[in-house]
Amino acid sequence: MDQPDDEVLIEKSKEGDMAAFKTLVVRHEGQVAGVIRSLLGTTPEAEDVGQEVFIRFYDALNKFRGESKVSTYLVRIAINLSLNELKKRKRTASRYASMEAADGIKGIEETLDLKEHLQYAFDKLDPDFRAVATLRLIEGYSTEETAGILEIPLGTALSRLARAQQKLRLSLTKKLRP
Amino acid sequence: MNDHFSEHEELLLRSWDAPVSARERDTLAEVIQNNPAIRQQSDQYQKIRTMLLRTEPDSFGPFFAERIMNMIKQRTQQIDYLIFFFFKKYQVLLVGVLVALLVSNMLLTDQLTLKGIFGLEQETTEDVFSIDLYENLIK
Repeated sequence: MDQPDDEVLIEKSKEGDMAAFKTLVVRHEGQVAGVIRSLLGTTPEAEDVGQEVFIRFYDALNKFRGESKVSTYLVRIAINLSLNELKKRKRTASRYASMEAADGIKGIEETLDLKEHLQYAFDKLDPDFRAVATLRLIEGYSTEETAGILEIPLGTALSRLARAQQKLRLSLTKKLRP
Repeated sequence: MNDHFSEHEELLLRSWDAPVSARERDTLAEVIQNNPAIRQQSDQYQKIRTMLLRTEPDSFGPFFAERIMNMIKQRTQQIDYLIFFFFKKYQVLLVGVLVALLVSNMLLTDQLTLKGIFGLEQETTEDVFSIDLYENLIK
């Protein structure tokens, strides 16, 4: 059976149809989870932020005019709340904090495999770079969409993207050698 | 650590994320073919991009939507409860003020009549008489 599109579900939700709103949550959970977990990691705060995204969306339903897609709107809230969370905790590599304390940064880099090291280097990126890289490189949005979601000029998005990739490559140089 | 972009590295990265001119594309193809360092960088960047790109949808785990719906429901109930008690507080206050006014009126008029309690003035015999006299004088 064909599912109704987002606009129909939003109208129904505005009229108090909770089942319609639940369908929207189910439909967009993946994208929101992807963005938040790329920025915050698989942490309890990530789910809290995810919940906050949908609660804020519910609260703003009557203000939603459909000028942007629902997914874009939700991802924008997700990015903003995740960046706030990062600023709040200021422990950009918290999931590796105990390992860093034990082995030091050089030590930990040697013990991680390539994929883990990439994750580690990604977590070390400046939050603004990470936001751009999350949308473009992980979630696969176009550069224009990425700039639009983050409300930054296209040139800024491109420059942050290039800088983020360069930092990742330089961090992984040894392990990337064939 | 050198974190400056070479002209070719910048072009290489831009070619994946933004449109490049035909001339730039030709230049890049030529550089990648003839410059082993740029070729290696290109391979490394492509490997990083491939590893980062999500291939499976993410999720917050089972029953996430149910948790959201429960939160909304609980919050709505909580708001209804707060509104009820907010107004209840003022209702009690209003009744209290009314009772106090009635009691004070009763004490001031020293009468246990409804007019006295509600502060409605009762005309005394003197008041009625003086009004009659005044009206007679005018005539």
